[in-house]
Order: sequence, then C-alpha cells, then structure tokens
Amino acid sequence: MNNLLLRYINLMVVTITILIIISFSLGYLFPGDTLTNISGIVPQSEEQRIALEAAFKLDRSIFVQFWYYLDNLVSGDWGVSFSSQVSLIDEISIAFPATLELITYALLISIFIGIPIGFIGGIWHHKPFDFGAVTFSVVSYSFPVFWLALIFITIFCLQLGYLPLSGRVNFLYDIPHNSGFILWDILVADSPNKKDAFADALRHLILPTASIALVTTAIFIRFTRRSIMDEMQKGYIDAAKSRGFTTKQIFFKHGLRNSLLPIIPLMALQISTLMTNAMVVETIFSWPGIGNWLIQAIYQRDYPAIRIGMLVVSIFVVTFTISIEFISRAFDPARDKFERGTV
Amino acid sequence: MAQFNLYEEEFHPSPLMHIWLEFKRSHFALIGFAILLLFCAIAILAPLLAPYDPNIQNTNAILLPPAWEANGSIAHIFGTDTLGRDVFSRTLYGCQVTFGSSVLLVLIASTIGVALGTLAGMKKGIKSSVLNHLLDSLMAIPTLLVAIIIVAILGTGLWNSMWAIILVLIPQFVHQTRSFVREEMKKDYILLDKLDGASSPRIFWSSILPGMFELLAVQSTLALSVAIIDISALGFLNLGAQSPVVELGASLSQSLEVAYSAPWLVALPGFFIFLMVLSINIVGEGLRTALRNRLIH
Amino acid sequence: MNLKNQSSTIKSIILLSFSLILMSACSKQKTQITQAGITFCSEGSPASFNPQLDTSSTTADASSHQVYDRLLEFNTENGEIEPGLASSWLVSNDSLTYTFQLRKGVSFHDTSYFTPTRNFNADDVVFSIDRWRVNSHPYHDISGGSYPYFQSLGLKSTIKNVDRINGYRVEISLYKPDSSFLANLATDFSVILSAEYAINLLEKGSPSNLDVLPIGTGPYKFVSYRKDQFIRYQRHHDYFLNTTGPENLVFDITPKSSLRVAKLITGECDAVAFPSQNDLEIIREREDLTLLEKPGLNVGFWAFNTSKPPFDNPKVRRALALAIDKTSLLETVYLGQATRAKSLVPSASWAHQSNMQDIGYNPVIARKLLDEAGISSGFTMNIWAMPVQRAYNPNAMKMAQLMSTYLAEVGVTVNIVSYDWTRFRENLTAGMHDSVLIGWSADNGDPDNFYRPLLTCAAIPSGTNRARWCNPEYDDLIESALKTEDSNARRIFYHRANQIIFREIPLVPIAHAFQYQAVNNQIEGITINPFGGIRFDDVVRKQ
Repeated sequence: MNNLLLRYINLMVVTITILIIISFSLGYLFPGDTLTNISGIVPQSEEQRIALEAAFKLDRSIFVQFWYYLDNLVSGDWGVSFSSQVSLIDEISIAFPATLELITYALLISIFIGIPIGFIGGIWHHKPFDFGAVTFSVVSYSFPVFWLALIFITIFCLQLGYLPLSGRVNFLYDIPHNSGFILWDILVADSPNKKDAFADALRHLILPTASIALVTTAIFIRFTRRSIMDEMQKGYIDAAKSRGFTTKQIFFKHGLRNSLLPIIPLMALQISTLMTNAMVVETIFSWPGIGNWLIQAIYQRDYPAIRIGMLVVSIFVVTFTISIEFISRAFDPARDKFERGTV
Repeated sequence: MAQFNLYEEEFHPSPLMHIWLEFKRSHFALIGFAILLLFCAIAILAPLLAPYDPNIQNTNAILLPPAWEANGSIAHIFGTDTLGRDVFSRTLYGCQVTFGSSVLLVLIASTIGVALGTLAGMKKGIKSSVLNHLLDSLMAIPTLLVAIIIVAILGTGLWNSMWAIILVLIPQFVHQTRSFVREEMKKDYILLDKLDGASSPRIFWSSILPGMFELLAVQSTLALSVAIIDISALGFLNLGAQSPVVELGASLSQSLEVAYSAPWLVALPGFFIFLMVLSINIVGEGLRTALRNRLIH
Repeated sequence: MNLKNQSSTIKSIILLSFSLILMSACSKQKTQITQAGITFCSEGSPASFNPQLDTSSTTADASSHQVYDRLLEFNTENGEIEPGLASSWLVSNDSLTYTFQLRKGVSFHDTSYFTPTRNFNADDVVFSIDRWRVNSHPYHDISGGSYPYFQSLGLKSTIKNVDRINGYRVEISLYKPDSSFLANLATDFSVILSAEYAINLLEKGSPSNLDVLPIGTGPYKFVSYRKDQFIRYQRHHDYFLNTTGPENLVFDITPKSSLRVAKLITGECDAVAFPSQNDLEIIREREDLTLLEKPGLNVGFWAFNTSKPPFDNPKVRRALALAIDKTSLLETVYLGQATRAKSLVPSASWAHQSNMQDIGYNPVIARKLLDEAGISSGFTMNIWAMPVQRAYNPNAMKMAQLMSTYLAEVGVTVNIVSYDWTRFRENLTAGMHDSVLIGWSADNGDPDNFYRPLLTCAAIPSGTNRARWCNPEYDDLIESALKTEDSNARRIFYHRANQIIFREIPLVPIAHAFQYQAVNNQIEGITINPFGGIRFDDVVRKQ
C-alpha cells in the first residue's frame, strides 16, 4: 500500500514538473516579445524595459529564471493579464470554480442517469430497453457539443422562452464572490432576495449542464452496460445460478460491486472530455469559466494568461485522474494493471 | 477507416469474411456503413460534385432559402449564405475538409502511435513503464487545451489544429498497441518465431501486426469520431480552419450572426457533422459487435 | 443512520432538486430585483472609465453619460447647446473669452472607494481641462498621457488659459476664435472629474485609479466592472437633476450582435446596442420589442495608410477605390439601411454637399491605373476589419471579404486582419495597417467634427486620422472654416476640402448609416442620441 502510494506520488510529481517546465518554456516559445509574453506588460521606455527584465530575471541564466518562476508560482504571484492588466490569480480564482461547478453537476447527472440505464440495459440486454439505451447512447455520443448547445438555445430560449441563454445568474443580482460555486455563494450570501437569485442561477445552469452531460451520460451508459454484461457472463455467476440464487440476488451480492469498481477510473478519465466540452459550451453560453477565459485569451493573444491557465487546468486534470487511479487501485487490489477505456 | 482494411482479404480471407458476415446482420450497421461510404465519396469527389466554387460570391443572391422552402431556388439546393455563396457546394467542400483532414490525422496518429506502442511493448523494463505512465497522465489533458497552446505558438490554421488532435490521439494508440503487443509476446506462436530465429522487426511485421488490424480498426473508428468532433469544434471556435478553407464547424460559427433570418445555415453544417460522426459510431459499434460475435460463434 | 434511511434522504434530495428546477423554469416573471434594475447589452469592453482618454464610443457609452456630467449638454432632439454643470455662460465680443457660471450644490458620488467632502466647484473644472491641456500637470501622463479627441482637434493650442475666478465661476481664454468650442465642451469627452478625488489618489499613490474607479457627478455611481462581462452601476440618489432612472443599471458586455438580439428576445437584456442589420426585420416583427431608428451623423470608410508605399501614391489609391463596387457593399453589408457616402458628412449636416462627384466602379480603369503605378498582378495588401459593430459599419469582416473578391478581379490579393478592439486601435495608431475599414460617428453636429479629426495632420499622432494623411492645403481650409461663424462661408471651405479628398483619395467614403437601438417594450425613455453616447437618466420600466 505504502509502496503504491509512493509510486503514485512519484508519478504525480514527475508529471507536474513536466507540466511546469512546459509552461515555463511557453513564455519563450510564444511569438513576439518574450518580456511582454512573460510579464504581461508592454514596456513604454528603454529604462522600463531594463527594469522589467531585471525584475523578471531575464538578464540572468535560464536556471535562475526557472527558479524565479517556480518561486512565483508557489507564492501565488502569477503575473498580470496582458489584456485586462488584472492579476491572473484573481481572474483564475473566479473563472476556475465556475467551470468546476459546471462539470461537477454534469458529472453527477451523468452518473445518476447513465449508470442506472447502463445497468438495466446490461442485465436485460438485447431487450427493447437495452436497444433503446444503446441507440440513445450512440446518437448522443455523436452530437457535436456546440451544435447541441445551439439546438437547446433555439428550442428552450428563443422558441419557448423558458430559460436564459447566457451567464451564471442575472447580473442584477450582485452575488459576492465566496467559494466561486454560484449556488453555494447565493446560499451563504447575506441578501434578502436569496430565493429569487437561487432560482435564477438554477435556470441558468440547466442548459449548459445538460449540453455537457449528454455526451458523458452516453459514455457512462456504454461503460456500465458493457461491464455488467461481461460480469454476468463470468463463471461464478453461473455457479451461483446453479445453486439456485435468483438473478437479482446474484447481481446485488456480487455483480454490482465487481462490475462497478473497474469502471470508476474509466469514468474519471472522462474529465478530459468533460473539460473540453465545458470549454466549448462556456463560450456559447457566455459562462464566465476558465474555458471561456482561455479562449478569450487566445483571441486576444494574451500569452501570460494562456501560460498560467494551461498550467492550472492541466495540473487539475492530471492530479484528479492520478488520484482516482490511485484510489481505485487501493480499493481494488484484484487489478494489477490499470486499463484504459475501450468503449 | 474500416472499409480499407476489409480489402486486405487476400492475407486472411476467412476471419475478415467472417466479420463482414456478422457485420451484415445488423441493418443499422449497414446503413451506417453506406452513409460512411457516401461521405468518403464526397470527400474524394467534392470538386466534381459541387455545382459552384465554394468561395464565389454572388451579391445578387444573398441568403436565398433552401430549395424546399417556398421561395427557394433549385439553382441553390441548400440556399446561399450572407455573401451569396452556394451552401450546397460549401457543405460538400466542408465535408471534404472536415472528413478528409480527420481521416488523415487519424492515419498519422495511428502510425506514430503504433510505432511507439510497439517499441514500448517489445521492450521491457522500468523505462517503458515510466514512459507509459507519464503518457497516460498527459493523455488526460483536454484536446482543446493542447490546441490552444499550439495555436498560441504557431497561429491558427487547419494544419495546426490537426497537430493538436494528433498529439492527443497518439497516446491512445500507444496504449492499445503496447498492451496488445505485450499480451501477444507472451504467446507461444511468438516463442515459436523466436526459436526460428526471427528478428524483432520480423516478428512484428509478420506475426503481430496482422493480428492487430482488428484492434486498430476499432480504435481508429473511435479516434475518427473524436477527431471529427474536435476538428469541427476548433473550427467553430475559430482556432482551426480559416477562410478560404471551408470547414463545417467554421461555417457554422460564421453563420451564427444570421441564426434567426437563416437558420438553415446553422442547422445544415451541424447536421452533417452529426451524421458523419453518427455513421462512424454506428459502423464502429457494428464492428465491435461483429468481432465479439465472431469470437462467440 | 441505516441504509434505508439514507436512500430515502437521497431520494428526497433528488426530488427536491427536480422540483426546484421545474419551479424555477416556470417562474419567468420578473422578480423584485430584476424589476428595479435595467440591463443594457453593450457591444464591447471600455478601455477605461474616462472618456477623455479614448475616442471609442464604447468607452464613452460606459462612462460619459452614466458617471459624469459636462459643463454643457446637447439637446438630444435638436443638437442645441444647453446648460449642464455650467448654469450659464458668456462669450466675449472677440470670441476669445468664455466665462462659465457653475451650478451649486452638485454632489460627487459617495462610493466604497471614496467619500467626497465637498460639492462640485471651479477646481474640478480647472482640473479636468488642465489634465489634458497642461503637459506638466501631475495627472497628464497618468494612464498613457494620450487624449486623442482633444489632440485631434488641436484644442491644446486653442486654449490659452483656464482660470478659477471664484468657487463657482471659471474663465477660459483662447488664442484664436473657435466656432466649435462650445460644442466641443458638450461632447462625450469633455467630462468633469473630481479634483478632490484626484488629490486623494495622488496621496495614496494610486493615481491611475482615477480612470479605473471613476468618481463623477453623473446619474449613476460606478459599482464594479469585469472585462468582457459586465459593468454595474447604482443610482446616484443626490443627482442634481430630478431623474427617474432605475436603482441598478447593468451593462452586459456581449460582443456578438446576434447574441445581443437573442438576449433581448429572452428578456435578459432590456435594450441592446447595434442590433445586426440581419435581425432588424425580426425585431420589427416582434410585438414585445421596439426598434428605434434615426439617420446617423456618421460615415463608414475605407482608409489607406498613406504613410506606407505604395499607398502614398494617389494613383494607387484611386485604382483601389475604383475596383470596389460600393453599391453591392451597401446592399450586402448594410442590407440597404444606409445611404451611399460621397464625402465625409451626411445629408443631415448643413455642410453636406449634394452635388459631390463620386468614385464609380470600374475595374478596367483600376487595373490600368495599377499598371501605370507599377503595381503588377499578384500584389498583396491587407485590409484591417474592425472587430466591433458600429452603425457606420455593422460587419467590417463581411465587407472585407466582399472587397477581397473585387480586388482579386484586378489582381490584388487581400489578407484580412483583425484583433480585439483595444489592440486593433493601438496597432492602427502605430500605423501597422495597409488599409482599414472603420468610420466615425459625430460627437457634435458641427462639420468640423468630421473634417478635423479624420484627416488633419494634427490627428495623426492622436490616432483618429486612420489614413495618416497630411495635406497642408486641406489643413488650411479646415482652419479657415473654423475662424468664421458664417455657415455659408464655412460651407464653401468644406466643399473645397471635399474636392481635395476626391482628388487625393486618402480614404474611400462608403456609407452614412442609420442608427439603431432595440429595446424591450417594457422600457421607456431610451432614445437614440445622435450626438454621442447612450443615456439612462430618465429610463423607466413600466409596471
């Protein structure tokens, strides 16, 4: 166990180091003036340029620069955005939770809808329900997420007028930034019209979450269904059947755990798909998340923002997947190898 | 990609035939396959099929509705866009670019991935394990993020967005190949080859690779559907193909400004991307079912 | 807790959240807070909250009429000059001295970042003008030190002195008569800042906050701002005029015009700036929306960077102008909602010249001229297309695409360039373009407001002269036109200037467009202000 933990910590450290090195070198790879790309400031005069170069250690060796970069990363001094001149750590600490909120809800929806459907389909496979589940899953897996979001907008916002199409909450509600999760922030906010704001925020959440959740739900249905089908074909199920257990008994005693455990890490890996889809959906629904922020940054060639944003998102994704991998291995010693998804 | 493999029959006629027979049993799979073939035809023949140059602007015929609407014209089956360009031709060319570039990038990614995976699989030891784990962790980084970084360094363009997707797809091929090669290396027929004195490359080419085609076909359909969605998403976000290259995702986002007055301009490209991906997924699904059934029967 | 209990808790949570979602989805009616506020969907992020620093109407919209007041105001109906912070004014007989009597009891905003201790007085006027006028002023170089509007009009060399006579009286003396001087003081850019706040910030060591966290006397206090997202304002309860504006005002920054209209339809915006030409019909058809329209005092044009060869050659410029079919641009980009521009000023202005010649469409002559100028086929140039929509050019990108096909016919290859708005203008001012599609909306009704900032030499460094064209003959004409009050005499000067523009073609005028604004029917009191930014002082939501 300790050995396992050590190995995973080691993996995590190595990966994060590589990511930091990549993000460090990006400052030199981006086109244009390296000083501006790193500092986010266009020097107005030669003196200012020299002063900035000294401040960012650009006149020193590359190792000093790297050390300085690391030091700044750790101490939270991430520089300023080129386009807004606002501190990057402030911008990210607002934008990133917004994305986290979106993908958390989408993930929860996918789990609560995808797994039960996959279950039923897997147990009674080749029955009408299973056929429906597979069809649903193949069709929804084929939707380009941006098109889906636009269809949702056309139907629910423009035709029916039920739901709003942009942002997290009506801007007239001034919700103080607290945890960054809007629903939570509204609940803890000291405001008389909490209830209205909460309902408003929920209505804003529905469409973006649904757009992202659909694809993930489709994937979860397939994972669960496949896993159950494989499990039910195994010898021990037959053995139990021959001893007179009902399918239901067998399933809830053995099948459930055995078929769910191996797919948990596969589901965790979907964080990458979720993240990509969230980034696209955010731009469509003007959701003020990290994806929208990064895409605006690339439109405006805001290199300091891209550099740090990329580092934050990738470290989050990598840490998340490695942790899930570790947990699932720790709890499922039967598996000696971590397998990647064949859908 | 599946259909190309099907014609390699002369080497292994019976198993492939078997897959085809199984595959044929599902009507859905066949329909999907037919649509996929249609897209292949469009991708190759777009310049011949398209009635107009996709970039020719006709300011006398702006925003014509499609032919099936009351005031549509048969001269422009899908109508025209805000600059009077023929949408039907643009859709054909768009399919060519979106589908063609996706096929191309899957080919590149699979070649590189298989090569790396084979190396990792045939060599043992700590190096391969570390590399493998690292690759796995980096594989979790979202495509869009990689694309943003590549676009930031190299600028926007179809090729740059393709590189981003290739980079993301490679680890999947590496992983699949590596596990497969590992498993096969343990088997007796490889041992036999070894005892016969076959070199590693020879073992790979004549023993492992032929057996890997099925795995590759399945993995490629998966990768292809991901590639199409990603390339059109990058086009949609204006990070991919740039005018005058006609790409479905990019056309869709350009049409957003007229989403009310000309909804078909948004609906059509999106529908074609959807259909493309759907047909690939159906074929992939059919292929996997066929493979599984072949093993059972 | 046993298992059964737990699952029932989970069940009830799921049920609860579903019912909440359903409930919320159905409750479309406005709640208290949305009832008391107004959301305006604007087209871009302001560069700062001080319109002195910028000529972009995005910046002016966000601050000029919300946060600030001016000494004088334009009547939005007829363009006449009315009292603002100055209750009355006197002009000396030689037109060189202007005396302003200031309003008393006008309070500055009391906000979380500044509490004023005194009301508005003469010091604030002196500070606001001297900031851009006097190079040695402690605030002159804060926030870049560039005041494009005033620089392009050469006002620095017009004003001799600004004197505080007493607490509520200010005297401004000029070097030379300037018939548009009062009008300039009434434009969006001539806002009055708080001198007390400025001193306070200087002591704190953060002077640049003056333009970021604004303090003014206007009808709305600034609350918060996030780039590309929103600007929040709150009503200024002690505003010196009796206004009926809402308690809260939000600018929802939505750069895409189609998205703005979509938000208007869903009710997320109460009013939108620059609805897209394509959506006008839809807005007209809908019963819950109103489309306001007015002929605009604007001009959209295609300017060549005359400081860059081969665009310094009038022959090349004429050839390129001849290669473009303006008629099709008008139909495709403006969808007919604009009049063809032949010179700088539209027919709404008294200086308009109706018998002006126009450059036609003739690709054959264009090619011939290019050959004469030694430009071979395959020549590549760039067209910069501005990334924001304006009345004078609702879709520069589309226009550039159209133009590129026309230019391709005469053998010129076009690269279309675009950046975000702030960067776009910075790079334009630096002269990095070959040609640019942009335009100008008048800030006041005076024709000088077109001729001077767009094409005089003084307007090159300030960045409003996008053609970077400097012609002493033209400058003389514009200068002479300003020295006389007689509008007939002025008209003749301007017509002569038109001839020079026609001969030299530093820019190709394309269109004078209608101005549009779309509002929800529940909102009353929004009007199109032809002389500058949008105003919300008297806007109300019907119950």
